[in-house]
Amino acid sequence: MSETDGFDDVTEAEIRAAFDEQSYVADDDIVTTVLLALRLGRPLLIEGEPGAGKTELAKVLAGGFDAELVRLQCYEGLAAENTLYEWNYTKQLLAVQAGEGGVDGDGTGSGEGPEESVFSEAYLLERPLLQALRGEGRRVLLVDEVDRADEAFEALLLEVLSDFQVSVPELGTIAAGTPPVVVVTSNRTRPLSDALKRRCLYLHVSPPSFEKEREILSRKVPELHDAVAAELCGIVGRLREEPLRKPPGAAETIDWARAVATLRGNGGPDSLTREEVRRTLGTVLKEVEDVERVDDELLDSLVEAARAAREAAGS
Amino acid sequence: MTDESDAGRTDPTDGETVVRATEHVRDELVRFARALRRAGASVPANAATTAARGLVVVGFADEDRARAATRAALVTDPRDVDEFERLFPEFWRRLTAGLGETGPAERWDDPPEGALAPLGGEPADGEEPEATDETETASEPDDDPEGSVAWRSSSLAAHLDERGDDEPLAVARYSPTGSPAPVETLPGFAGHDVLGSAVDELTAALATLRGRAWDTAGDRRTDARRALRASVGTGGTVVSLPTRDRKQSEVRATWLVDVSRSVLDTLDRGFLLDVLGRSRAAWRDCRVFFFDEGVREVTSAFEDGTAEGAAEALADAEAEWGGGTRIGGSLAELRTRTPDAVDNRTVVFVVSDGLEMGDLSALERELAWLSSRAVAVVWCNPLAAAPGFEPTAGGMAAALPFVAGPFAFAGPDDVTELARQLRAQGPGGRVGYEYDPRRKDA
Repeated sequence: MSETDGFDDVTEAEIRAAFDEQSYVADDDIVTTVLLALRLGRPLLIEGEPGAGKTELAKVLAGGFDAELVRLQCYEGLAAENTLYEWNYTKQLLAVQAGEGGVDGDGTGSGEGPEESVFSEAYLLERPLLQALRGEGRRVLLVDEVDRADEAFEALLLEVLSDFQVSVPELGTIAAGTPPVVVVTSNRTRPLSDALKRRCLYLHVSPPSFEKEREILSRKVPELHDAVAAELCGIVGRLREEPLRKPPGAAETIDWARAVATLRGNGGPDSLTREEVRRTLGTVLKEVEDVERVDDELLDSLVEAARAAREAAGS
Repeated sequence: MTDESDAGRTDPTDGETVVRATEHVRDELVRFARALRRAGASVPANAATTAARGLVVVGFADEDRARAATRAALVTDPRDVDEFERLFPEFWRRLTAGLGETGPAERWDDPPEGALAPLGGEPADGEEPEATDETETASEPDDDPEGSVAWRSSSLAAHLDERGDDEPLAVARYSPTGSPAPVETLPGFAGHDVLGSAVDELTAALATLRGRAWDTAGDRRTDARRALRASVGTGGTVVSLPTRDRKQSEVRATWLVDVSRSVLDTLDRGFLLDVLGRSRAAWRDCRVFFFDEGVREVTSAFEDGTAEGAAEALADAEAEWGGGTRIGGSLAELRTRTPDAVDNRTVVFVVSDGLEMGDLSALERELAWLSSRAVAVVWCNPLAAAPGFEPTAGGMAAALPFVAGPFAFAGPDDVTELARQLRAQGPGGRVGYEYDPRRKDA
């Protein structure tokens, strides 16, 4: 497969290699679903708790296949002009005042005529969706946290995802030569439309199991002692049983492991101390109510969970 | 898992076999999708087609791959995964049996069983019959005979009439320390105009959705008119591009109203229904749920703008439940049955005294979910109108970290105060009964 090709003939082995290269630990069903998304050319809708690795998957795909990552971070109020294209108003006004452009030009953008239209390529500002459609070679379009955007944006996205083309009234229809791989993520803070789901393959990413989380830490934070990593995973698993405002995801576990490894340097005991847990919990708990919830009793329970995890891991 | 030879069981040179195999796969996929839908799963209309393409890509040799491929196409909600996993083995057995050494089996020689059986089909030996009208009927509330509904309605009307607007509310027993003591007399329901203004203020305080009016403080669209006007002062040069945006003036809300005896005996029902009715009419999207032992959506009772349907719904709820409250259990039911009632632009109002009869840890868990999902959870407690109120009831104490409030909720003045605090501080600010100036004055 050449570098300029899409992902039509990618193999499962190549996906696994890409994941391994990027130290991304993925279950078999994730690999199979990603393979389908690439081979069938269907957008992939990934849902799951924050920190489960949804965004990371798109980044890993881009990194592993030397593809350009075009990221669109969604937020409330996101509108078409923020995502597709805008006209460079200032440049247009200056061009009109200087007599270099007009609103009735031929629109070729050649710059040769005295009355080049200010509604031509030279005045077009591409935004992420248009960039993803018009780019060359392999591209991964990440539409991140689509549930934060308004329903109106979802409708706009449908048009792009259906035909991989957009219509710019002054320029005509712009279609993708090679459709990008599209990854749409959602934290399920609001239900997505059936129309969007119908266009996508669906993947739900659950919080990692104890074993998977240990493997993630061994790859992402190799400098951390294995037994300590197991203890951290045990504590995080215990924390997820608590009714927290923001339960820790895999990303928080990695942050915590890095923090512990940094504080320890090359030394430190091969087991977490109670005080060490207490001082560093701020890296996994991000809400004041959650931090306040960890009283002495819960802290004892966390330390106990750490010991149990260490024994279960045989470290 | 099947062996590798499964994929090659059909002879590709045998056109008829290939056609039959294709039809067999298609039939089984359609049947599988239908079975999932019948079980309540949300399966897109084109899902079977997508699943078929997925199976072509991953082949039929590996059950796990096929499971992942069909799941990616047929499942669109994590709550449907269990149902998918329950039905997949039978789908897979039938699919692979039909792709045997001699090609796909003759149709109908292996009639589908259990959940994959066609609608109306006879159940297999020893199998429970498919859900029928009888079972569905059993799970639904009985259709009340007209006389019964009328009785309930008149019962509530009589209750409201007897009491009258000026009559003080009957006292209920409440004590911050847990010992029985009468609650101080709460103010009676005053005037509708006051309540209307209070709801308007609440709208302004909690608006999360864009309305039709434009605001110049936004960043959504370039304001060409202002740009041109400004350019006059600079000789035609545009120095900056002013923008405008739609004002946030609309509210999306969900009311969760505790209709247990302890609340209904304390709260002015006319006031409650009036608040709910006005919210339903004034806000862009407003859903109303009553809860006690379970949860029930009663939004439609407020559709016609009159109090009759709402009063009837309240009377029905009281007649059906009217016992102890399981707030956590009710919230869990809401989460599993109607999770779309709450999203990140929805303000959730909980009207409850916080007297939880269920598991407190379950209540905490559900409120953690609710608070992380909604834009805000505002707790309206009728007992908080009493000057001596302290949130020491188990449910109320457990709820505090997850909610804004508790706020007093006994009359229009309380709604006004609720709106004032939320407008000044926002739902995440220092708000609640303890910041109510009337409490200090009392």
